[in-house]
Amino acid sequence: MKTVSVHGLTKEFRLGGHNHQYRTLREWFSRGRREPSTESAGRFLALQEVSFDASSGEVLGIIGRNGAGKSTLLKILARILRPSAGHVELRGRVGSLLEVGSGFHGELTGRENIFLNAAILGMRHGEIVRKLDEIVDFAGIGQYLDQPVKNYSTGMYMRLAFSVAAHIEPEILLVDEVLAVGDAEFQKKCMQRIEQVGRDGQTVLFVSHNMQAVLRLCSRALLIEQGKLVEQGPVHDVAAAYLRVGGGNRGERRYPEGPYAPGDSVARLRSVRVRSRDGETLTAVELSQEFGIEMELEVENPSLVLFPVLSIYNEWGTEVLWATDVDTEWHGRQRPAGHFRMIAWVPANFMTAGPMTVAAAVYSLAPRVEHFREPDVVSFQAIETYGNETARGKFTGYIGSATRPKLEWSIDFDGAGQKS
Amino acid sequence: MIRESSPQPPHTRVTVIDRSGISPLQKIAEYRQYRTLFVFLTLRDITLRYRQTLLGVLWAVLQPILPMVIFTLVFARVLRPETGKVPYSLFALSGLVPWTFFANAINTAGATFAANHNLLNKVYFPRAILPAAAVAACLVDLTVGGVFLLGMSLWQGYRPTVEWLWLPVISLVTAGLALAVGLALASLMALYRDVKHVVPFLVQLWMFATPVVYPIQLLPARFRWAINLNPMAGVVEVGRGCLFGTPLNWTLLGMSGLSAVLISGAAAWLFHHLETDLAERV
Repeated sequence: MKTVSVHGLTKEFRLGGHNHQYRTLREWFSRGRREPSTESAGRFLALQEVSFDASSGEVLGIIGRNGAGKSTLLKILARILRPSAGHVELRGRVGSLLEVGSGFHGELTGRENIFLNAAILGMRHGEIVRKLDEIVDFAGIGQYLDQPVKNYSTGMYMRLAFSVAAHIEPEILLVDEVLAVGDAEFQKKCMQRIEQVGRDGQTVLFVSHNMQAVLRLCSRALLIEQGKLVEQGPVHDVAAAYLRVGGGNRGERRYPEGPYAPGDSVARLRSVRVRSRDGETLTAVELSQEFGIEMELEVENPSLVLFPVLSIYNEWGTEVLWATDVDTEWHGRQRPAGHFRMIAWVPANFMTAGPMTVAAAVYSLAPRVEHFREPDVVSFQAIETYGNETARGKFTGYIGSATRPKLEWSIDFDGAGQKS
Repeated sequence: MIRESSPQPPHTRVTVIDRSGISPLQKIAEYRQYRTLFVFLTLRDITLRYRQTLLGVLWAVLQPILPMVIFTLVFARVLRPETGKVPYSLFALSGLVPWTFFANAINTAGATFAANHNLLNKVYFPRAILPAAAVAACLVDLTVGGVFLLGMSLWQGYRPTVEWLWLPVISLVTAGLALAVGLALASLMALYRDVKHVVPFLVQLWMFATPVVYPIQLLPARFRWAINLNPMAGVVEVGRGCLFGTPLNWTLLGMSGLSAVLISGAAAWLFHHLETDLAERV
């Protein structure tokens, strides 16, 4: 059964107009004079003529880079924002997980917050009473139920907040990036719950940057680019299209010559890119393949010993890898002025899957000076593959580790009940 | 637009979202659906007001008593207002109890949209529930203060009359008025934070434009017509009339009622126009 149908949805924001953070009375009084400039102020189309359908039992992924309009779309479906044109029909109760824990109050106890939050999400009193035990169980807060939540650890707080939201049991569930918070255990729980909701015949619209999560949860997906729906269909096709257009990743960054590039009078960054052995710039890297991170550097002052450092961060902001140029002839030596091109090779079967960002830096020691450090200088997607040449092998479950090297294993087998 | 549709299972609701929003009738249905939220928001506001306070609900009594003492000591001695048979302290208290409620209610209700902008941006619910719950929470204070006022009247020798039964009705009318003003302030404050700074002055000014601590006769006759525009003047005067059995000023009552209706209408209009894009504006 079709539960969500969206036709020609358009949302226009007036820049500098009504959606300004807030105006002061002075501006209001002078509005008469300012009117012409307000009228000519920019208009920004956050969504343009977006149309799609979703049916019950379907988990529909919505992907696109930051600012593409994904969250605006969800906010319109949640009735927080009003569309400028087009219309939407939703069959059944709508629940939204746009942010976990909005409306929680630190002074209130866990129990009081459950009731209040559940009511904010549209539950009635009887329903909340019926589901209270289930919510408390899922959150695992047991004896802390009647403590003010300001005394909770962040983990407990998040679990409770998600637990309330996860028990609304609406026919249509809107989920926006909730997986971007909390620890791995919590994320696993969220994923399982969303999968469960899909199986129970509800409709889930799932917005995420986490391509792994989208690939795992969704059968179909939409790709939104600059407010327009550019692709919809089976999740693998749409994900491939997303990665093709760069997927918000930037595999290469070059800086202009001169004083605007990161650095100082000692060393300046010229470029960073993710590359293959063949010299091709990559925005997506298969886990089972080796790849390189290339950094170009202009050394202007040869008097210091320079340490180039490359780090890779995963989507939770964990630094999964740190490397400097040991084992090269230049390590720990002064470098003459000139151009250096350095490549660090990351071995196959070392990373885990997910979006990664790279930070590039150059330091000198004694005294320690940071000549530059560029976080998020380039980004790429590490893509899961299956099979014996991978570290995952035939295992298909969730892996939450920061690295996943393919180790050498040795296994001894003693036949049951037989002594050798 | 929300309608119960027949071909679907009975509980399946179809929500249509478009530019025009939902009709007033559907809005009322929606407020009914969210009554649980109203109850829990009210309970939250009450709980938070008295949690971690030493004196707790005693503040509901102290809030009108402290100004009463000051006005009795200063105002009564300097101006010697003529309050008939009613002792001045009791007279002032009978004005300060409803006024304190009204002032607290419009202050807290007026701040709700700006204070909850995070919530408004993340979750949908009928927006007027926030100020309504703030006003409802203040009713607890009014009840406690009102009981204290009745006790003081009994102590001063007044005996209960049938007119006392009107006092709860007058309280609800005051709450309605506070909701209208609070709703308008909340909508404006979402747009212009200046309103936050204006409200304390407005409340102070409004109190002195209302016969709270002085009898209406104290006003020069040529200004007395202006008080008819103030619905709170009607509320305070009628309350006193019922409590002390003094004669009622029917002109004042009628005019106050009319201005209350006008103010509520204006507030509803303002809210209706600002509500739809509240999340964008706040």
